[in-house]
Amino acid sequence: MDRMTALFVGVAMGALIQRVQASNPGMIARNLRLENLSVIKFMATTIAVGAMLVYVMSLVMPMHFDVKPTYVVGVLVGGLVFGVGFALSGYCPGTCVVGAGEGRKDAVFAFVGGVVGALAFTLAFTAVIAPLNALADFGKITLADMLGLPAVAVALALGVVFLAVVKWLPTNPGRPALGEES
Amino acid sequence: MAHPAAQSPTMTAAPGAGLPPWARYGIIFGFVSAASIALWAPIGVSGTYPRMIGAILGELTPDYAAANPYLVRMGSVLKPETFLLIGLLIGGFIASRFGRARLVARRLEMVHPGEKTDFARYRDAFLGGFLIIVGARIAGGCTSGHIISGMTQLSVSAFIFAAGVFASGIATAKLLQKGGK
Repeated sequence: MDRMTALFVGVAMGALIQRVQASNPGMIARNLRLENLSVIKFMATTIAVGAMLVYVMSLVMPMHFDVKPTYVVGVLVGGLVFGVGFALSGYCPGTCVVGAGEGRKDAVFAFVGGVVGALAFTLAFTAVIAPLNALADFGKITLADMLGLPAVAVALALGVVFLAVVKWLPTNPGRPALGEES
Repeated sequence: MAHPAAQSPTMTAAPGAGLPPWARYGIIFGFVSAASIALWAPIGVSGTYPRMIGAILGELTPDYAAANPYLVRMGSVLKPETFLLIGLLIGGFIASRFGRARLVARRLEMVHPGEKTDFARYRDAFLGGFLIIVGARIAGGCTSGHIISGMTQLSVSAFIFAAGVFASGIATAKLLQKGGK
């Protein structure tokens, strides 16, 4: 049952990523150069809607939350390494699979690079990664835990702020006068 | 006389059709991500890569695979997450070939000014692909698991990861643009 759910979620996610051109590495590069912000605005909209929905739903039904631990050093170092690879390839671990489905050859190279990266990581885990990730580990904490506020209130506030920011931000900061497209 | 619903274009338009694509698709993805958390688990992709390595090493060197604490912790490649990746492949294929707004990628597109040959694009894709999985596994998640699902759940780690990704991602993209000209 979970496998079918995951498969259907994947199909929907893949189609949405393709339509918003997040599987186009040129589009990712334009977003990271801050010339076109459409993918960043897409992500922020997704987060705003998702956060408000899941925490309102959590008031009336059990949810399968799975918060990742905040080990500050490892999460930040991992993010910095990820960002370099994200800009260089124009892909993330999911969009290269979508790109491969679209028929993009470079997406297949990014995917294979990822598989080799997973092998390198696995071999280095015990010696390098496990000690790094033991540093400054605060466990599975949320903004609501930090602020001492009800999660639903924080989720609604975050949703409103994110939606206000994406509405205010131009989609094409490089070309402001030509009307907002895609 | 035709049925009113059949002749009015506004009746057949999808809800939210007046919104720009990023907003329309973002709202739909928000519902998909929430449904995933309600029915199964938060969306996440990068953990499947080491599970594939676990499956391969499990065939080649079963003793090493059984003794590697990371592979043991990540579990079987038959976990539902792997089916999410299969779905991504299918979704990308379908969306690029059907519908009005189809955008089939027919030719290889260069991403950075320094990519003068097809080889350079494949090299950058491969090296970048290597780095995104190493980075994602150090941090414990990628764009989907850490940023989309993490921020949706208000996880503190999501904001730290996103800050790292956009700091080095924006710097790298700008440097590659300058360096290639």
